[in-house]
Amino acid sequence: MAQAGKGRLNYRCPSCFMRDLDIDMFYDKDRKEYYCIRCQYTGTEEDVLEKNKMARFRYKSMLKRFSMEDFEKFD
Amino acid sequence: MDQFIVNIIHRPEMVPEYAEKVTGQGKAEDLGRKALLTESLDIFKTQQEAAHKNGLKTTIQMTYASLFNDEAVEIAKDHHEKYGDEIGLTLLGLPCKEFREKYKTKDFCIWMFDMDMKKSVVNDVFEKFYERFGFYPESTGSYYMDADLINYIKEKYPSVKCAVATCWEEGPKAYHTCNNSWYTLMDGGPWAPWIPSKVNTHAPAANEAEDSGIVAIPHLSRDLLACYDGNGSNFGTHPQNVLRGMLYEPGHIDENGEYVGQQYPYLFNLIDQYLYQARFNNGYAYNMMFVGPGWMNKMGRWEAPYELLKASYEDGCAYYGQLKKDGKLLDMTMSEFADYYREKKHYTEPECALWRDLIYGSNKQLFWYCDPYMRACVNMDQGGAIVDLRPYAAKLEWKVGIGTPHVQECGYPFLIQEKYRAGYFTHYAGEGTVRSAKICHNGEEVDLCLCRTHAHFSEEKGERRLTLDPVDIVFSDMSLKLQTVITFKEGDSSIKIDRNILEMSDPEADVTINEYMVACYGVTEYPEDMTSITLSATSGIKEDSLRYAYKCRENYCPGADHVDAVIPPIKTRVTMECSGREKTGYFKEGYAFSPMFTLGYTGVLKDKEVFSTWLRLARED
Repeated sequence: MAQAGKGRLNYRCPSCFMRDLDIDMFYDKDRKEYYCIRCQYTGTEEDVLEKNKMARFRYKSMLKRFSMEDFEKFD
Repeated sequence: MDQFIVNIIHRPEMVPEYAEKVTGQGKAEDLGRKALLTESLDIFKTQQEAAHKNGLKTTIQMTYASLFNDEAVEIAKDHHEKYGDEIGLTLLGLPCKEFREKYKTKDFCIWMFDMDMKKSVVNDVFEKFYERFGFYPESTGSYYMDADLINYIKEKYPSVKCAVATCWEEGPKAYHTCNNSWYTLMDGGPWAPWIPSKVNTHAPAANEAEDSGIVAIPHLSRDLLACYDGNGSNFGTHPQNVLRGMLYEPGHIDENGEYVGQQYPYLFNLIDQYLYQARFNNGYAYNMMFVGPGWMNKMGRWEAPYELLKASYEDGCAYYGQLKKDGKLLDMTMSEFADYYREKKHYTEPECALWRDLIYGSNKQLFWYCDPYMRACVNMDQGGAIVDLRPYAAKLEWKVGIGTPHVQECGYPFLIQEKYRAGYFTHYAGEGTVRSAKICHNGEEVDLCLCRTHAHFSEEKGERRLTLDPVDIVFSDMSLKLQTVITFKEGDSSIKIDRNILEMSDPEADVTINEYMVACYGVTEYPEDMTSITLSATSGIKEDSLRYAYKCRENYCPGADHVDAVIPPIKTRVTMECSGREKTGYFKEGYAFSPMFTLGYTGVLKDKEVFSTWLRLARED
């Protein structure tokens, strides 16, 4: 089995991202999967993208545009 | 008319941080790689173009490496002529073939070198700059500039009047995010421009004698709530940091080859909330955008393809450009800003920020206060508790770099830090650092940390005041409405907290109040040796005191004039004073599993009564 390398894009581990860790993943061509060298996450590109979407669960206002009047207005 | 200033800074970094390490993966290190140099310069040109086409001037901070590159030098001269860009000199971007060969080190952070090396590098880069441009720069910077470094530069090159001198809350949190491999440990500084004191960069100068001679600006304008809680490099006026935080919806490449459809309203909300701060700072607000070329790499950066990286930078510039066109923003170079700042602000004038959550959909609100005597954070989601406190009044000498006690650590020590030393909530035992109050009645107790509220800012006669919305406190047989008012008196090194009982369901009842501050000292998440700390309570000529020995001792002093903690490692004295009925001052020693101390006052309150305390900070040595 050849050594791992970087994939098309340089994906981070979604599991580590959710605990505030930016860990580059490496790509295993034989298994066609990304893997994290710090934790136990492995996944295809599709799975990484799906988990990255999931990681945004906490960003409830991510797509909200605030106006100046909103900065001291609370629900 | 409010004035919102932006500094846009670009550096032609010939070997961008990340680029060699990340995109050069699988290749042996070669700092002189032609492809790397060409790409780096292309990114710089792209950034310059993005600013200029939106009518914005920049500060070009030449790196050491770029001073060896004729094209980079010519571009800087040309853009200075054409667009009024300032040509400055950064101490970032040292790594290059020439630097490595000359200094025989892979270190690249100027503040971490020993003092002799700092001087050698400064002399080298400033003289090289002079050789290429025929003048000395007026602005410089790095991620952090320690006081000795600033003092040396100012003495040797007095033309320097502005410097990028810290990166807000880039400390243990950023270190953690980088898997404990990114050694920018610089918590505890100002988030907005300030005049550093001669002895400690993070502590603003209180007067001309303390003035280091430069105006410092932070590296980026950070989200004052998200960065305090999480990774600072996800939430700032750095478009690619917003991508790093995954705070966006990606776009796609359309039929014309354009990247379209990307969304990151957070970036614009962040800029706007900074603009909003003019209301609390005599009509002035500030932003800084400084993106290193490594973030616009052709290979993409993490999940973001190059097209998105580039689009986000262009969108950022376009937004600042639009604000300028709308008359809401002034673009300045760093040296222009230094002149403006000196004119606009006076030494003891604080920087204030009333900040709401922009990301998580909560109603959380913080207030940040910074002056030459302290930096404090008030958390309205915890009833106005003080959750971070840095005693700048001590102007603590803190040498940084090889050969000093702090090779990497630049943070200004805290007395209170709710993330590193818990806060209200701890696990089963012990206490966390926080300044709050408890209201007690018939054996029931309510901590104001659990009373969520919001605040309103006002300024009058040299006092900045936070008036919190009243909170309801419900006991089994009685309820009351309490309002907190927190006052920062300019130049006084004190925080006054008033607790007003506005209503009581039983007007004849009384409640006990316990105003307390749990504190310690430190710069990281781990505890320090507390044994040099002395706690005392004073009433008239009577003083009770103890030397900290982890013995869990307590002392109560009826009618105490003041209670104090002296913390020699950070040369700080903390004092609490009180005005209130039946006041009793107290102090509590901690124990090994709770390495804290507590200062406080108890007293009694009835309907319509007020209980006031003052927290004072001073240097002690």
